[in-house]
Amino acid sequence: MFVEYTWLVPLVPMLCFVIIGFFGKKMPHGGGPLAIFGAMFAFLISALISYEFFTSAAYSSPGYVTEQITWFSIGSFDINIGYYVDSLACLMMLFASFISTLIFIYSIGYMHNEGVKRRRYFAEVSLFLTGMLGLAVSSNFLEMFVFWEAMGLCSYLLIGFWSFTHPNGDDASDNAASAAKKAFLVTRLGDVCLMGGMFVLMYEFGSLDYTAVFDTAAMASVDPNMLMLGSLLIFGGVIGKSAQFPLLDWLPDAMAGPTTVSALIHAATMVKAGVYLVARCFPLFAQNPEVMLFVGVIGGITAFFAATMALNNMNIKKVLAYSTLSQLGYMFLALGAGGYMMALGLQSGDSALIAAGAVGYTAGCLHMANHAFFKALLFLGSGSVIHATGTEDMREMGGLHSKMKITSITMLIGSLSIAGFPLFSGFWSKEIVLEVAMHAGDYGAEGYLFLVLWILAIITAFMTAFYMFRMWFMTFKGKPGHGAEHCHGESPKSMTIPLIILSVFAAALGCIILFGFDDYVTIGIHAGQFQVGSGHGHGFMGWLEDIFLSAYTYLTVALVLIAIGVAYVMYSKMSINPGKFNKDGNSLLYKALSNRWWFPRLYDQIGWKMGYGVAKGVEFVDTQVIDGTVNALSSAVAGSGDSMSKVQTGNVRDYASVVVIGIVVLFAVMLLLFYFMGGA
Amino acid sequence: MFFDLPFEIPYLLTLLLVLPLVGAVATLAMGGERQKYAKYVAGAFSGITMVLSIMLLFVPDLAVYNESYPWIETAGIRMSYILTVDGLSILMVFLTGILVFLSTVFSAREHDRPHYFFALILAMEVGLMGVYMAADYFLFYVMWEVTLIPMYFMISWFGGPRRHYAAIKFFIYTHVASLVMLIGIFAIVFGAAGGGIADFSFEAVLAGSAAFSSTFQTLVFGLLFFGFAVKMPIVPFHTWLPDAHTEAPTAGSVLLAGVMLKMGSYGIIRVCLELLPEGAQAWQTTMVFIGILAMIYGAYACIAQKDLKKMVAFSSISHMGMVMISMACLSDIGIQFAVFQMFAHGLISAVLFMVAGATGHNIGTREIPLLGGLAGKVPVLAAFMMFGFLASLGLPGLVGFWAEFGIIFSFYEYTISIDMIWLIAFCLISLLLTAGYYLWAMQRSMFGRLTEKIDLSHIHDLSRPEVIALGATCALIALFGLWPDLALGFIKEYASSLALSLGVV
Amino acid sequence: MIPIEVYLVFAAVLFAIGAYGVMVKSNTIVVLMCIELMLNAANINFIVFSAFTTDVLGQVFVIMTISVAAAEVAVGIAILLNAYKLKNTTEADSLTSMRW
Repeated sequence: MFVEYTWLVPLVPMLCFVIIGFFGKKMPHGGGPLAIFGAMFAFLISALISYEFFTSAAYSSPGYVTEQITWFSIGSFDINIGYYVDSLACLMMLFASFISTLIFIYSIGYMHNEGVKRRRYFAEVSLFLTGMLGLAVSSNFLEMFVFWEAMGLCSYLLIGFWSFTHPNGDDASDNAASAAKKAFLVTRLGDVCLMGGMFVLMYEFGSLDYTAVFDTAAMASVDPNMLMLGSLLIFGGVIGKSAQFPLLDWLPDAMAGPTTVSALIHAATMVKAGVYLVARCFPLFAQNPEVMLFVGVIGGITAFFAATMALNNMNIKKVLAYSTLSQLGYMFLALGAGGYMMALGLQSGDSALIAAGAVGYTAGCLHMANHAFFKALLFLGSGSVIHATGTEDMREMGGLHSKMKITSITMLIGSLSIAGFPLFSGFWSKEIVLEVAMHAGDYGAEGYLFLVLWILAIITAFMTAFYMFRMWFMTFKGKPGHGAEHCHGESPKSMTIPLIILSVFAAALGCIILFGFDDYVTIGIHAGQFQVGSGHGHGFMGWLEDIFLSAYTYLTVALVLIAIGVAYVMYSKMSINPGKFNKDGNSLLYKALSNRWWFPRLYDQIGWKMGYGVAKGVEFVDTQVIDGTVNALSSAVAGSGDSMSKVQTGNVRDYASVVVIGIVVLFAVMLLLFYFMGGA
Repeated sequence: MFFDLPFEIPYLLTLLLVLPLVGAVATLAMGGERQKYAKYVAGAFSGITMVLSIMLLFVPDLAVYNESYPWIETAGIRMSYILTVDGLSILMVFLTGILVFLSTVFSAREHDRPHYFFALILAMEVGLMGVYMAADYFLFYVMWEVTLIPMYFMISWFGGPRRHYAAIKFFIYTHVASLVMLIGIFAIVFGAAGGGIADFSFEAVLAGSAAFSSTFQTLVFGLLFFGFAVKMPIVPFHTWLPDAHTEAPTAGSVLLAGVMLKMGSYGIIRVCLELLPEGAQAWQTTMVFIGILAMIYGAYACIAQKDLKKMVAFSSISHMGMVMISMACLSDIGIQFAVFQMFAHGLISAVLFMVAGATGHNIGTREIPLLGGLAGKVPVLAAFMMFGFLASLGLPGLVGFWAEFGIIFSFYEYTISIDMIWLIAFCLISLLLTAGYYLWAMQRSMFGRLTEKIDLSHIHDLSRPEVIALGATCALIALFGLWPDLALGFIKEYASSLALSLGVV
Repeated sequence: MIPIEVYLVFAAVLFAIGAYGVMVKSNTIVVLMCIELMLNAANINFIVFSAFTTDVLGQVFVIMTISVAAAEVAVGIAILLNAYKLKNTTEADSLTSMRW
């Protein structure tokens, strides 16, 4: 009875967007309360839908509910619009709308000084929420793509929120404008790949509906090469949206937007769309082990590289941005490893392997949900700090713990969670991710790659713990810097209450894996079809045994504790000067890290040469060669006309002479004609 | 359509043609003291025409409105006055009606000889409506030329500093092309007559076209295609377009890009594809090549442009390249979405040229390097610019995306059929480049550092008529973007029957 | 009876004199008079042929030509008067403003 109203979930924020967009100027807080209402309403409906979906037996047999109407048709291909609800969609809806509600509440406080600009802010975040929720409940690829791009647009607009008249001056405006453009263009590169993937699917399957594409018989009948091409192109879109290697460069720049935007879009929700899409396309990707291997490798590499870049960054938001990239990499690693096993299992018909693959799916989704909470918490916490100190540079913070107790403690919880400190949320999901990656290493010809990735992932876990606590110690402990002296105490309640709520989830959400999360969010094969939420989890004791009976768990935990200890010694006690290890910032490695492994420079060069360089050439051809020819032709005509016109002397007698000469010539011709043709 | 017009309007199509003509004369009469009322007269006439063209959408059976009268009959020649509207032309007629009215509204602040200005707009409407409704090759050609003359005067009287150069370039290019087209028209008319009475009506020529040999088809297709394609335009015969746009007043640019360029692609579908299917097959590869060239070349040229309006003009070339590719697929999807893209681009380019014109007008310069950080000073203009750019770069949910999606899909089908799937990459690259030049232009003109190179004291935001015109166009873009079937429904039947006759379904 | 050739040669000579005058003389009044000469040479031909063929159509043409010539002179003189007012001269060589 609630599921039928799923269309309300994206529609209500959409209405809020329209209303705020037109009338926000006259509303209190620029329409903020309405945006909060929209998000809250969406959350309530999502909760009701999820409750009904999970409890009602009617929905458990195909594992999804879908309903759609024909939107329009392209030739004989019908494009539908509708909703598709399954456990994955419920999970996305729930955490996206819940976190959005909290972040919108937080924004009321955070954006307090923005005046009329708040209308734009709240309108755009409402539109963004429409995109996110619409993406979660879309019933086909094209509809999903519409919302996908709507989010991209909002990301662009919100990163560029201060792209003109920035409170910090013109340089900051330039920076924001350029970051926004970069974000849109890089994700656009992915999006055109995704579009290409959709063309492949539409042509091969005759439809873009999830139900039609994920049909086992249909997938089996399609040319496997085209299937692989389609999968890889779709994953290209994911790489762009989720900022994976090699398109990871836009996300750190995107921190030029307001911190709430970073928390909402570039940590908790939009960048998760890629993870969601891979999870959604799991049946499709799992047709080819190579595709899943690719997913895993990209994820593992991103996790590692992004973590290295976070090690020495001084900007609190950029550290968090890199850690977002790194954690997203974990999710793709889990999905890739799980999918790899599942693909092999499908090929050999090994149901145990398929079940092992499903664990990867669960791990990826769990980490996605966990990460949404703790990263939103960390970003909002950093926003609170930035709000109080007026700087993003961690060197100017320090010793804030005593001034901002709530922020400090909630951020500590977030840091513990992301670092994978035992029993915090991040711990559970990260352990399962690592376990899956290791497990995948045992199978198939290319499986050894997953062992390599597993080792990288463990090193990444160590680095994660280190840089997160480096951040926490630099900000809240140690000597107060410039900015810290400016700090005038804790942020307002509208900001701290969301922090507290989020911290509860960041600490405890991971436990849901023990209480049947994997009964719902998993994937298996039932009656020949893929089904999300197949209902055979490991159970409470199963997971405890899995995690705590494995020696590797203790290895990771030990590494995490060591990393926290090192960070403490370096940045809180300051008994070891970190400068010793990098020749005070002059070592090659340090430079490589602070230049982000020279990725931005590479991209700028490529973009500049391929774009502007070629454009200059085209412009030259256009103005000089083509238009030059045209103008040369016309001036040749005009010039010969000019010289011929000299005949017009204006002297009547000249004209008369010409006339007479003409008559004489005509007469002569006539006579000659008569003479030769024998006329009279 | 979901709603049928409950009554018939007698001579609806002739009215669409005559009203603007009467309006043009009436406006022209508003000289001297009455100059300031010229815009109201023009607005009234174009407004009524617009209302009629909207009503046309709700007509249950278009065939009722066909009109046919003999015009010139001699021993060997029969030319008639035949007007029809079908699935191909109905959207174009609608677009003409809308854009003429909106560009009249947009130019409400025109102070320089307004009676000439608005009379020229209305005169142009006569020609445009005529081209899209004519069902007789002679009438078609006459109307084709009729569009040319007001546009010429529009540019050379009301244009920018290089207006004479641009106007003459525009005139010579399109006139030479239309002479080539005229030869093609004679070829098909007399070819179809086969020695009998040369009947210029579409119907008679179509009936006689079965006798065309494939060599004849290939040759004549070339002539006609050249004539039409220069109007579209195609690389390398495109250089008149950026110049004409740069110099033309805003209303002229809107009509030039919004409706006149579509005459070229309309002609290709209406004449070349309908009559010469074998010629189309022979020229298919060339058309694809030309389309890809225009698309990529136009997109790259955009990146290098400094003048906002010139950039938009090159983007038109790029987008019309898409239309070319789509037509070249010769499939039902291809034709359907070629027409849809013509419609979509008509709306979008109208917004873009209005924005570019308003930038020049309200800020004082259109040179992108001189602008910067102005979004705070002219927020409404910046918002419309953003909207137009986004629509043009194919943001899903706006009309341009669906057109591009369908076009690239039809092209995908074509590349599969010739086993060269990598060709699709060109389309995708052009999408990327499009996003690139628009966002870069946006960043340089409206965002970032506030410019110090121009005098900021005279800058003013959009005036009320400008906001109304832009807002209405944007609303249409969103409406057809959210509900593409509203437009696609008209084209569907026509496209599939044409594709059937082309032998490729 | 005087043979027709005499008339025709006479007319040709008259025409040649007129043509020579138009080409050589710089005084526009003289030029106008020379044009009259040429016209009259043509008239003579008309009359002669008319007389020798007993067809009156030729004489009708002459009447026509005379009236046209009269009108032409009127227009020509008027132009010259205006030119004189403007330029203070009627020399053909100095009335060359209609050149490239």
